[in-house]
Amino acid sequence: MLKGHLDTIVLAALEAGPAHGYAIIETIKRGSSHTFDLPEGTVYPALHRLEDAGLLSSAWMTPPGGRRRRLYSLTKAGATALADRRKAWGRFSQAVETLLGGGRAWPA
Amino acid sequence: MAGMIDEYVAALRRDLDFDPPLARRLADEVEAHLWEAVEADPAGSSPEAEQRAVARFGLAREIAAQFAADAIDRQARRTWMMLAATIAVTFVAMRLRVLWLDDLETAMSALAALIDRYAFVAAVATGIVGWFAFRRSLAPLAICLGGLAASIAAGIARAGLFADGAPLHVLLAAAGEVALIGLLSWHVLGLHRRLHRTAALRSAR
Repeated sequence: MLKGHLDTIVLAALEAGPAHGYAIIETIKRGSSHTFDLPEGTVYPALHRLEDAGLLSSAWMTPPGGRRRRLYSLTKAGATALADRRKAWGRFSQAVETLLGGGRAWPA
Repeated sequence: MAGMIDEYVAALRRDLDFDPPLARRLADEVEAHLWEAVEADPAGSSPEAEQRAVARFGLAREIAAQFAADAIDRQARRTWMMLAATIAVTFVAMRLRVLWLDDLETAMSALAALIDRYAFVAAVATGIVGWFAFRRSLAPLAICLGGLAASIAAGIARAGLFADGAPLHVLLAAAGEVALIGLLSWHVLGLHRRLHRTAALRSAR
């Protein structure tokens, strides 16, 4: 179920600011209260796919005294895509919740 | 246990050999990620921490298979764009040849003219059907490539009968179509390699 939404989740994880792969995975784990405890490597195909689509940009950065990392950032198109996907998800989740018997009447 | 991260990164590079630049970049990223995970391990840096970091990351083959599947879409898109460009340039070159050869046509070049025209038409028709119905498939691209190559070869053979008097724009158009058919072949081979690699990675999972 998560697979179809991974790209959106990665976009959301980068909304707060640029981050590297390890930090993105940690944000997803913490943000989902460890519900999404997916193999860490699965985030990299999503990151590269989103970058190819122009929704992310990336660059190598070396913090003083730290390890060299590739930082990913949302592009303007990425921020727009995230807003669109958030709206679509809101409608979808509300509809599913209603159909499963736990929500308000749909359509609202 | 020492060197487990190095071994993992080397395995990932091997599995991504269909795209060397991606393999290099990802190897660097994954290595940084795994060392970061080792440093964050409560037990500190140790072979066991390396083992846990690698286990949490997932199987190298599965990661590579996801990249391979994405690479097919990218390569297919590039190959279809290259096919469209090759068709356009071949059409222009063919028209230029026809305009120039109109007065010089001989019975000897009639067969070449037929191949030039109908192999091109067959390639375009296959390309249209392939684009709408089999975009991720190699077969229509291979047929288009064969049709265009036959058309170009026949066209050049036909013009070659009068090569001494060929105007510059006809020669340049012919050079353009030869260059593009070479690039198209390279792209089709690249797609074949990626499809083959993806199938191998998936069957090994």
